[in-house]
Amino acid sequence: MLKLKEVSKVFGEVVVLDHVSLSVAKSGILGLAGASGSGKSTLLRCVQGFEKPDSGEIECNGRVCFIFQDFQLFPHMNVLQNLVYAPDLKADGSARQKNEEKALALLKSLGLGDKANSFPALLSGGQKQRAALARSLMIDPDIILCDEPTSGLDVMSIADVISLLREVRSRGVTMVIASHDLGFLTEISEKVILLKNGRIVVEIDPKQHDDPSKLLTQYY
Amino acid sequence: MSNFFSSFLLIGTGLALTLKLLFGCFIIGLSLGTLLAILKFCKICVHVIDLFVSFLRGTPLLLQLSLIYFSVPGIFGVQLSVLSAGIIAFGINSSAYIAEILRAGIESIPNGQFEAAISLGIPKNRMWRDIIMPQVVKNILPALINEIVDLLKETALIATIGGMDIMRYSQIVGAAQFNYFAPLCIAAIYYYVLVSLITWISRLIERRTSYVKA
Repeated sequence: MLKLKEVSKVFGEVVVLDHVSLSVAKSGILGLAGASGSGKSTLLRCVQGFEKPDSGEIECNGRVCFIFQDFQLFPHMNVLQNLVYAPDLKADGSARQKNEEKALALLKSLGLGDKANSFPALLSGGQKQRAALARSLMIDPDIILCDEPTSGLDVMSIADVISLLREVRSRGVTMVIASHDLGFLTEISEKVILLKNGRIVVEIDPKQHDDPSKLLTQYY
Repeated sequence: MSNFFSSFLLIGTGLALTLKLLFGCFIIGLSLGTLLAILKFCKICVHVIDLFVSFLRGTPLLLQLSLIYFSVPGIFGVQLSVLSAGIIAFGINSSAYIAEILRAGIESIPNGQFEAAISLGIPKNRMWRDIIMPQVVKNILPALINEIVDLLKETALIATIGGMDIMRYSQIVGAAQFNYFAPLCIAAIYYYVLVSLITWISRLIERRTSYVKA
């Protein structure tokens, strides 16, 4: 459950978020559309706490995890170490064993079974994306924030990301996804919000429209 | 030929002082440099440190060495040994350069790495120890090795205050034989081999810390 009330953020003289209010139900997927500089990323960064809103309230229950556009895997650790490092900090012997088993199972289910010992530099874009998603799932988040999850991915990988995110939602995780890719957003989200100059211009339920992408472009 | 060989051995006895100096001042330079680099992120200290660093970089090392060796006894009433004066002077000087190397190394880590660690709930001390510093060390290794090589060559200045290092021994042998060419060449060989050794070790370390391991 995630709720924003009248959230505003100003950088210098630029108003990046202008009284934004929204809410996402548990295990819902909210899509954030909008041109570059419309405030999508800043909104996500405020929810994670990387930026402090100048006014307004953010209410979120549970653990939040951020998936970066450029993944930010730790380059000096292999994929398995990337996954288990954070959960292992709070675990000892047998719990660490369990973390490793969980990580390996997760990697296998994401088609990265043979990449556990590879370093991030050797992975393709799609593989890094899946590894980053797996890493965030390891800490059992309640909310996942995805910044441009499809940027730089080919059509097949985007299809993979869609089925992957659906699978993550079925575990009860709430998601907020910021993306330029309207086709992808309207396919995956229950609700899509279009931001323009930090303001919500329109909010649609993609299922209610024949061509939601086209509808959204009219408001750009 | 036996003359050359005995000169070679005699000049080699200077190796002890050269290496002691190198280790001593590198340890001082690294610890003080790390401290300076950390303090540079504190807004109040930054001006004092900038002044300190600009003095160390803006005056000759020979002057700094002389300042410590010749003027400390007059001011503090303590006579420093040649070795300790050298370690202090070269160590403090090198700390200025190492501080800059470290600061640049930390700033080269993308902000996202810090944020990813925070997002995963990794505590600050562990983030620095396990996520940030291993990457910093890998990035600054070539610059740090450069600094060690510079340091090694700078230790030859100890000869000017009577330190019996490789340089000083080669001068003494040259004076005794009325011929400087061979002794100075021998000293050059010692320095060159040491530098090559340091470079070789650094390559080994670089290869071992490479991320791209299949």
